[in-house]
Formats: sequence, structure tokens, C-alpha cells
Amino acid sequence: MSAAGTTIEIEDLSLDRGRRPVLRDISARFSEGVVTAIVGPSGAGKTSLLRCINRLEEPLEGRVLLDGTDIRELDPTELRKRVGMIFQTPVLFEGGVRANLSYGLEAVDDSVLERALEVAGLGASFLERGSTALSVGQAQRVCIARALVRDPEALILDEPTSALDMKATKRIEELLGALAQSGLTIIVVTHDLDQARRIASKGVLLDEGRVVTTGTLEEVAAEWPGGVA
Amino acid sequence: MSGDALTDSGLVGVAISLALVGVAFLISMRFRLSLEKDLAVATARAVVQLSVVALAITFVFEHELLSAVVILVMLGAAAWTAGARLEGIPRGPQLAIFAISSGAIVALVVLFGAGVFDLEPRFLIPIAGMLIGNCMTAVSVAGARVRDELNDKTLEVEARLALGVRAREALNPYIRKATTTALIPVIDTTKTVGIIALPGAFTGMLIAGATPAQAARVQLIVLFMLFGAVAISGMTAALTVTRMFVGPGERIVLPQVK
Repeated sequence: MSAAGTTIEIEDLSLDRGRRPVLRDISARFSEGVVTAIVGPSGAGKTSLLRCINRLEEPLEGRVLLDGTDIRELDPTELRKRVGMIFQTPVLFEGGVRANLSYGLEAVDDSVLERALEVAGLGASFLERGSTALSVGQAQRVCIARALVRDPEALILDEPTSALDMKATKRIEELLGALAQSGLTIIVVTHDLDQARRIASKGVLLDEGRVVTTGTLEEVAAEWPGGVA
Repeated sequence: MSGDALTDSGLVGVAISLALVGVAFLISMRFRLSLEKDLAVATARAVVQLSVVALAITFVFEHELLSAVVILVMLGAAAWTAGARLEGIPRGPQLAIFAISSGAIVALVVLFGAGVFDLEPRFLIPIAGMLIGNCMTAVSVAGARVRDELNDKTLEVEARLALGVRAREALNPYIRKATTTALIPVIDTTKTVGIIALPGAFTGMLIAGATPAQAARVQLIVLFMLFGAVAISGMTAALTVTRMFVGPGERIVLPQVK
């Protein structure tokens, strides 16, 4: 893992689903080595914005730049290796931890898999574990390790702790901080302003598909719809 | 009774077999099982339907060009039926006709083109019916299963895509499941042929006076023909349905089921 980050810029992005507007004129910048939280109430468009960054959704207008390059000019498979995505519910495929970590890769050395597990806070012994015996927190960390195996420059995470208990949540939050310190660009979607304050140094507040404000978490909290949460 | 069933005197055989239904009718009346109406309706429908089919096929046999029309009608009806099962899939009926034809019509062209069967209506129509009917079922099952898998496992599919694999690879497990489900009946029939039950063509030929060796040869042709055609149609359906849901940028655009 090289742990070299990347700059992600979003310019005037709009997204419709059917005829329904989901995002309107979104502009934001995410820097390397920084955890940025995308916050806002339910239905604000947070997840949709995240999905535009790795092209699981195609915006109607605007563009996303990865280190200055429009992501539509990149091979989507290459883009998704450079920008790893973690979902709200951990999804493990058939086979054990080893099969999950090496999914879709032609040949990968065990040392790479073990290193990813260690970075994710799981021991190298997890490599031989089955997927079904893992706790939800362990499964989520296997998902993070699976993304790290691909040597990403950024991680985008959609409410990654919403299915976890407090202890597992704390471990994931610490892990994200450590990954940002190592240089990765980290973007976390959360509806929990307190969590955003704990883990992020920058925030983007969305409401009804538009950016309300960007800045420090204090600035974001001051603009939170209905007062400070 | 060897041969009698194939002659006019076979009508006596029909009457004798009908008498067995009469016995069932009497038992139902005696024990108040209320099956009399079902027995009567089913018997009457069988007589009417088979008589009409026999007359229609006799007519077609005498006018060879009509065979093509009959096959087109069969294909249209099969595509309509399978297309209805593929609800929510863009261009479902067209996709069904393509997938059914890829197995059934290709098999017909190969078998009759190579002279395995004589190009006569009495061979062409029943074999086309068998092929189109079986391929239709495989297309319905495989196509609907892929659609349902993608709907049920959207998150899993997107988790695969998010790891940087091509959509084709991400969707492969669901294509595999759908084709396996569609092909299980024909695979099991082929594996157990002659053990669990004597198949239709074999039984029919024995009754019609063929030797067991002749009957086995024809049965094998029928089995392999169906096996190959159904497998091709099922796989074609799963692959083409999947393709309908892959959008630009290696992502999935989900089927909308009403």
C-alpha cells in the first residue's frame, strides 16, 4: 500500500433519478490526507453524491475530477480501484476472507493480503477465516481491507458504522483517522454530526440536494437545518 | 393388440380405455367424491382437442408449405408467453424470440439440414413443437431468475463493481445461478433417462412396433437435441437479459418490476 492520496473535485454536479432532481449544482473539494464528512439529514443526497464519485451513478451535468482528470476519461475499473468504496452494510461474497480480499485480482501475494488485514485492525490469522463466523464489525473491517488490497488513493464510505455497536464504531473511526494520516483521501457520509466532529476535519453540509455550506465542522454545525444537532 | 391402436379398429381400444374412466366415474359417484364433473370435462376436452389437432395436422401434412406458418405461429406464441414472464425487462418479447430461436431454430436447421430427419411435415412439426416448447420454458426461467437476482442482490452486485471488476465478471455468479436453474430439468431428465421412466419417444416407438434398438436411437436424438437447444436458449436468455441492465461506465441499471 503506497498510501498516496489524491485530490477529488466536484464541479457543478447535478443528478436526476427519473425526472426527480436528486442533486443540484454541487461543487466541493476533497484533499489528500484529510477526512471530510458529507453530512445532512436523510434524503439530502449524501449517498447519491458519493456514488457519483466512483461512477455507480452518472450525473446529469457537471463533472468529477480525480487529480485534475475527468473520471469519465478513466477506465471505470481503474477508477474504482483508485477510489475504494465501503457500503453501509458490509457485503462479503462466497468463500472465506482470502477469497474476498483477492476477489477480481489475478495474482496477489499473501503478504499483501496480510498487510491489508493488519492495517484494517485484524490479525493476519484472519486470512484463513470463513466469512460467516465474523461479527458485523469484523466484516466491515474485512471490506476495508479488501479495498486497501487494491492500493487505493481514496476511500469513500457510506455510513460505514451505522450497523455497528459502539465499540466497533470507535475502532472504525480510529482506523479512518490512521488511514488519512498515512495520506489517503477519506470521504465519509454520515447523518450523525457528532460522529463527523469526532472523525473529520472538514465537512460538506447537504440539504435537499444542494450544498448548504462547506468548511470546518463548527461552520457546518452552525448551518445544520433546525439548529445544532 | 399389436398394431390395432394404429388402425380404425383402434377405436375399440379407445372405447375400452374410456370404459376405465367410466369405472372411475362410478366409484366417484358411489363414494360421493365429487370428481364426476372433472372427469367428464377432462375426457370431453381430450377428445375434442386431440380430434381438432389431428384434423389440423392432417391438413398441414397435405399442404407442406403450411408447416412454416405453423412453426412461426408456435414461435410467436412461445415468445408471447415467455415475454410475459420477463416483465420489467426492456424489449422482453423480442429478447424471448431471439433466445428461443437461438436454441430451437438453430437445432431445427442443423437436424433437418444434416438429414437426421426427413424434411417432411410429419417430422418437422412435432420436433419443432418439442424444441420451441422446451426452449420457451428455459428462456422464461433463466431470464426471470436473472432479473430477480439483480433486484434482490443489488448491493452485492454494486459491492463487486466497486472493487474494480468489469460488469460482466460482477454479474457472472447470477448468470450461472439462473442458467443452472433453467437447465436442471433437462439435465436431470437426461441423467435418469430409462431409469426412472421410459421417455415419450421411446415408449411411443415401441408401441408403434419399432425395435427397442430403433426406439433408443430416436430417443437419444430427441434427448440430445433438446439438451443442446435448451442449454443454448437458457444461456442466451441469461446473457442477453443481463446485458440489458449494464449501463455505460460498467454499472448496473436495475430492472423495474411493476
